[in-house]
Amino acid sequence: MPANKKHLTPTFIHRFSRITAGFVGGYFVTVSFFLALSFYFDKASVLFTLVFGGFLLWVALMIIAFIAKSGWKIWGIYLLLTLCFSAIVYLNQPTPTI
Amino acid sequence: MSNRIYNILFHTHTISGIIISLALYVIFFAGSFSFFRDEIISWERSESISEGWALQEMDFDVVLDTLQARKGIAKTDVAFNQHYDEQRTSVSISVPKDAEVNEDKGRRGRGGRGNFFYMNTQDLKTYDYQESYSFGEFLYRLHFFAQLNFFGRSGYLLAGIIAFFFLFAVVTGVIVHWNKIISNFYIFRPNNSIKNLWTDAHTALGIIGLPYQFMFALTGVYIIIGLTIMSPAIISYAYNGSQEEAYDDFGFNPPKFEFVGRPLDNEFSVNDLLDRTEEKWPEFHVHNASIFNYGDENMHVQFTGKSDFNKKFASAGTITYRVKDGEIVAEKSPFQDVSYLDGARSVILRLHFGDFGGAGLKLIYFSLGLLTCFVIISGVMIWLVARDKKHVSPVKRKFNAWLVWFYLAGCLSMFPVTAFTFVMIKIGLQDPGDDRSAFIFQTFFWSWLALTLLFTFIRSNAITNKFTLILGGIIGLAVPVANGIVSGNWLWVTLRNGQMDIFLIDALWLVISISAILIGSKMKANNAEEEPANHAIPSRKSVATVD
Repeated sequence: MPANKKHLTPTFIHRFSRITAGFVGGYFVTVSFFLALSFYFDKASVLFTLVFGGFLLWVALMIIAFIAKSGWKIWGIYLLLTLCFSAIVYLNQPTPTI
Repeated sequence: MSNRIYNILFHTHTISGIIISLALYVIFFAGSFSFFRDEIISWERSESISEGWALQEMDFDVVLDTLQARKGIAKTDVAFNQHYDEQRTSVSISVPKDAEVNEDKGRRGRGGRGNFFYMNTQDLKTYDYQESYSFGEFLYRLHFFAQLNFFGRSGYLLAGIIAFFFLFAVVTGVIVHWNKIISNFYIFRPNNSIKNLWTDAHTALGIIGLPYQFMFALTGVYIIIGLTIMSPAIISYAYNGSQEEAYDDFGFNPPKFEFVGRPLDNEFSVNDLLDRTEEKWPEFHVHNASIFNYGDENMHVQFTGKSDFNKKFASAGTITYRVKDGEIVAEKSPFQDVSYLDGARSVILRLHFGDFGGAGLKLIYFSLGLLTCFVIISGVMIWLVARDKKHVSPVKRKFNAWLVWFYLAGCLSMFPVTAFTFVMIKIGLQDPGDDRSAFIFQTFFWSWLALTLLFTFIRSNAITNKFTLILGGIIGLAVPVANGIVSGNWLWVTLRNGQMDIFLIDALWLVISISAILIGSKMKANNAEEEPANHAIPSRKSVATVD
């Protein structure tokens, strides 16, 4: 019954790209997504949701990374998403008072 | 679901499952016993909570006067914390507020880091951390690997990662099983192949326990590493790097009251303030009482707690009094308008600790915890049996067999080892001067190591299974006996005295032990399906050692 090998990614580098995309990229997307949301809704509530609910989103992103056709493509998508959310966070940062 | 997705997710479920299996078993086994942390502590110390225990029953005026006489608490903050249902509360006393003038000396001198100890709310005896260390605490801390905190909080981090991958395994497991979720629920083929037996057990029990396991994966990962993993980004990008501000929003920071430096003129009674609180909120359970600036003009008293679970499931409440005029300066009702933050946090904690339905609920939680242990083991067995095929290379099969011998020996010997430690702390840990944590550590970990190695090298999963059950059962029967002989708390005595917490532990061991012996004695020790056939013949000598 072990999973049918022909459906699994054969090479190390492909597997590596998926695992890192899901684990590292997934984390970036999760955190930046909630941070971006926190500037539009009640801040403490959104951020507290991140502390427990973020793990669910992260797991979902890991699963998506595993079933994606290409690990590098999913890395690209996750980076792009992170960039978009980060831009929102960046634009909402208070200007430092001198 | 396409064949491709099915196989990929199946593989990730298998791999994440097999990697975390041993650690997850330890978490669930120790965690299941941790539901009875408080009862185990009552059992160990013969301090039943039926004799009274709660912080709000304590005579604060006497306690504070005593502390003032013994330790001098003027100008300090004093905090009483009682997070568990036991007779003792922790007490911490800060450095006197005016000691900051000569900071260097003050930090290093008496009470440089303040003062921390435990106090019995009934007879007001005090104990330090070492004297108060208990097996209940040990098992509780084992379930998040506190004993592995060698580098900072490495143990917590490990437990958190295990919990996270458990969440991953639960979700992928459900997806993989999705199409057969209903049809296979009713299938159990014990007389079919051994692989079918394990698979049916794994899926059916996995589905029965699914809500419970999912809840524990999510609440567990939040409790142990939620803040560690998520808060650095929150603090840097949402709070401009100010941890203070973030924690204020999350409600972690205690309130601050300025120290004026003029002594308080009027008489005061903390008991009166507590009485007023109880009158105001009759179903409020106080688990923290903080006294700020003791004896100062700006002295304040704060009570924090939650509502009775019968009244409101999830809430957090706090009330603060200014002592000078007895005014309420801040309050947050545990019964009305509970905020999202407080509600979510207390729902998570209630669900995780199972403290919302008394002993009956804890027993259900306990059984579901052991059921999860079985799901973990059956998963490992599927993994093994599915790879024990002719086309798998002998080296790999040998490695797999050894791995499972070791896994099973490690997991299953936790049962006799726990029983053994229960007996040993009654027999060998009665002198108050004993090094309690060293004794518990050595008894538990050495016997665990010995049994794990013994059963690993016997190289038979059937023998491991049968004899851990029988051994654990026999030792477990000695638990109520040891308690009767050493402490005089025979089952009928505690039942008659209404010491239900002590009775519960003895009765639990009685029931577990008898079932374990019955099940163990019905098992066959020489399973025909033993992995690689040439390794399966256990020597007679090793069997005799265990028996």
